[in-house]
Amino acid sequence: MEVIEAAGYYLPQGFEKHVKAFTTEVYQAPEIAVHLKVPSVSGAMVEVLADHLKKEREKYLAHQPIERIIDVLDEASRRWLGKNYPYRELALKTIPVITGFSREVVEASIDAEMESSLREDIWQALRSEIKNPLYLDDFQYSPELDGYCRAFGPKLIVSFFSENIPGLPHLLFMRSALVKAACLGKVAAGEPTFAPLYLRTIEEIDPGMANCMAVLYWRGGEEEIEEAAFNQADAAILFGGIEACNSLTKRIPRRIRVLVHGHKLGFGVIGRKRLRHQGLEDLAAAVAYDCSMFDQRACLAPHGYYLEEGGEVSPQEFAQALSAAMAGINEKTPRGKISPGEAATINQLRGKYEFKELRGDDVLLVASPHGTDWTVIYERDPGTFRPSPLNRALWIWGVDDIFRILPTIKPLSPFLQNAAVAIGDEREKEFISRLGELGITRITSPGKMPLPSMMWHHDGISPLASLLRWCDVEKKDEIRGMETSKK
Amino acid sequence: MSELPQEVRELDGAILAFIQKGADHRDLVEFNNLALRTFEFQYNHIPLYQLYCQRRGITPQGLSSWDQIPPLPTDVFKSTELFTLPSHIARTFMTSGTSMPNERGRVHYDEGGLRLMDATIFAAASAFLVPDGVKTLILIIAPPPDIAPHMVMAYGMDRLKDYFGLPQSHFLVGREGFQVKDLVNALHTSEQEDIPVTICGGSFGFVNFFDYCRRKRLKFQLPRGSRCLDAGGYKGKSREVGRGEFLDYCEKFLTITRNFCINLLGMTEIASQFYDNTLRNSIQGVHAASFKVSPPWTRTLVVNPETLEPLPPGEIGLLRHFDLANRGHICAIQTDDLGKMMEGGFEIYGKARESEAKGCSLTIDEMTRAMEE
Repeated sequence: MEVIEAAGYYLPQGFEKHVKAFTTEVYQAPEIAVHLKVPSVSGAMVEVLADHLKKEREKYLAHQPIERIIDVLDEASRRWLGKNYPYRELALKTIPVITGFSREVVEASIDAEMESSLREDIWQALRSEIKNPLYLDDFQYSPELDGYCRAFGPKLIVSFFSENIPGLPHLLFMRSALVKAACLGKVAAGEPTFAPLYLRTIEEIDPGMANCMAVLYWRGGEEEIEEAAFNQADAAILFGGIEACNSLTKRIPRRIRVLVHGHKLGFGVIGRKRLRHQGLEDLAAAVAYDCSMFDQRACLAPHGYYLEEGGEVSPQEFAQALSAAMAGINEKTPRGKISPGEAATINQLRGKYEFKELRGDDVLLVASPHGTDWTVIYERDPGTFRPSPLNRALWIWGVDDIFRILPTIKPLSPFLQNAAVAIGDEREKEFISRLGELGITRITSPGKMPLPSMMWHHDGISPLASLLRWCDVEKKDEIRGMETSKK
Repeated sequence: MSELPQEVRELDGAILAFIQKGADHRDLVEFNNLALRTFEFQYNHIPLYQLYCQRRGITPQGLSSWDQIPPLPTDVFKSTELFTLPSHIARTFMTSGTSMPNERGRVHYDEGGLRLMDATIFAAASAFLVPDGVKTLILIIAPPPDIAPHMVMAYGMDRLKDYFGLPQSHFLVGREGFQVKDLVNALHTSEQEDIPVTICGGSFGFVNFFDYCRRKRLKFQLPRGSRCLDAGGYKGKSREVGRGEFLDYCEKFLTITRNFCINLLGMTEIASQFYDNTLRNSIQGVHAASFKVSPPWTRTLVVNPETLEPLPPGEIGLLRHFDLANRGHICAIQTDDLGKMMEGGFEIYGKARESEAKGCSLTIDEMTRAMEE
């Protein structure tokens, strides 16, 4: 039995003396156990910590040039992409034990996250949101203003993560660093190890930057602790369930900037022109990939794909091709362990659709022969959006005209996020516009759903620019000391 | 309605005789014979079930044991009508399905099937609700069958009232809701006249009544022999806390001790009821932790939630019940209740499906709640 000691927290250097006690939680899997060390957290401790983080920021991060910060983040991503990097190896051991994800799924998600977090992506993301990243360092001449602008980030961002998608928390620490804010992250009980390991990488590269960051876990809803955090913060970023986010938002003081990323859903649409025998296998593999990454638990994943009838390949035929692709992916990147409730939901759904199939309804159920590894259910669009039980269970809905799905999607407006679209004819532009109007915030191709770029306006907002406060200097005459910036 | 076919009457006669032997035996041979006979009947009369079995390579001829009978997932009743004698439907019970009204499971009964259900109600209650043979005033925190014709609990409690209740026994939920003052008056009368009562109903109805008692500072000294029978659970609370609190309240507000508090598992999809053996143990002087008993005309298995294969005793998994009284539809029912096998029964830990989301994608439950707002 291998026993791994892991930390479910990250604290700045020298801060551990403020922790009154640590407890150890044990996660057990066959042949491996993770002993997770977690500090006991109190409101008083969080208050001291938040203050400490802000002081460290004032001392160090606030004065680092953006170029230096980007270099550090780039170096961190590169280290994590190295197959033999010890922290990556550690994450690949601990996360499967704690979350149930297979090692292969965790590995694929780390690769995907880190590959889109390299130097050029980061510069691009900043340019896309604020045009000139140097605004973060100092006043720069703005030709639009014909004056000088500078962007100031928050002093302390508090981030809540309530899910166990490996990789998401690191994105938030990146964003905080880019706006030169200290960051206190509250991780989910379900996945407390990735963020601390990521911050240890930052510590290796730039201890001063790591000293402005911390990761803790406490049970969501501990009002005293959360109040202590909010009292010190000037921005909050929330990831989580709709009810959890609502309850938190109510308790956040109004002076704090809040960005909310509640649970969302995605789907795909394939037009009849794209349903052809040629390339069918590739298209099926792309859809299977969308549904299998993160075991379909991420908001980026599709609950179902709408397929237009009348193409060379019928939606039913596509469902068959898809099932072969699902089986293929499951062999290479097996789905993780799921809870009894999740398995029961999938088995009940399968039973229900098997009987629909037996009684001659226009449905098709194709599923992994043993267990609930993957499930594909074809039926004609029922006219109401039925969420999937997830964990690699995908709906294939047949529609006679893709535009007919719009009324079905409309009531879901607040929850819409990703759509994969492949129409293959001149209707594509119109269709994309309509999806945009309905609230979709990212449209991509099948096979690309789990891989948003750093440039994506995450849930429709500018994730970096939304955190900034601008100071504009509207003075036509020269300002002493600023002339060098004017082009 | 025409008379049931000869074959059905014979089968029902055999099952009825088996149920009427009561709860004090464990005749596996006869159970197995009847299970296989009933399976064959269902296989022959429900074409969809026959196809379902054939897909799994199972025919009545190839079967030797009840536990090989293919079970039906409960959700199937929400979309597919499965009944052996469609021209003989006498009664239809429906699952509650609050959030999706079109998604309610429907289970039909013919006259013979109702007689079987009645027999199970009598036999199980004789053993587990009134093992002491005491007649009580039965007060039911549920609507009567004429108000809730599709609610299986209303039907069952009505039968209990007729079989075991004193003449003034009655229902307490009318068209205007729970008549709590009626219950209070009845309990006062019971105290004064020394008539033992049985309060029965859904667990949540009890909780409402206890809240009322707390607000009004009410406490009752109910006569010896009084008892509580609650069905179901309390959503959102863990089993231990929920049950412990419940029993404390029974004692505090009603002066009914723990050994006279019986919990019942009833399901629309299953004709029989699963009582816990609390009172029976107490009357028989058995000191053991109580659990749900599968009466002799039923069996319960615990299966792996992933593969649906039976698990070894002691492991936690999904409960699968076999009930001979389900003759009219399907005997083998796959639930999504989590539980553990015990000798002669099982422990139940609640719905496996009420578990929280793991990712950041919107879940079925979350969407249902959000759309209701």
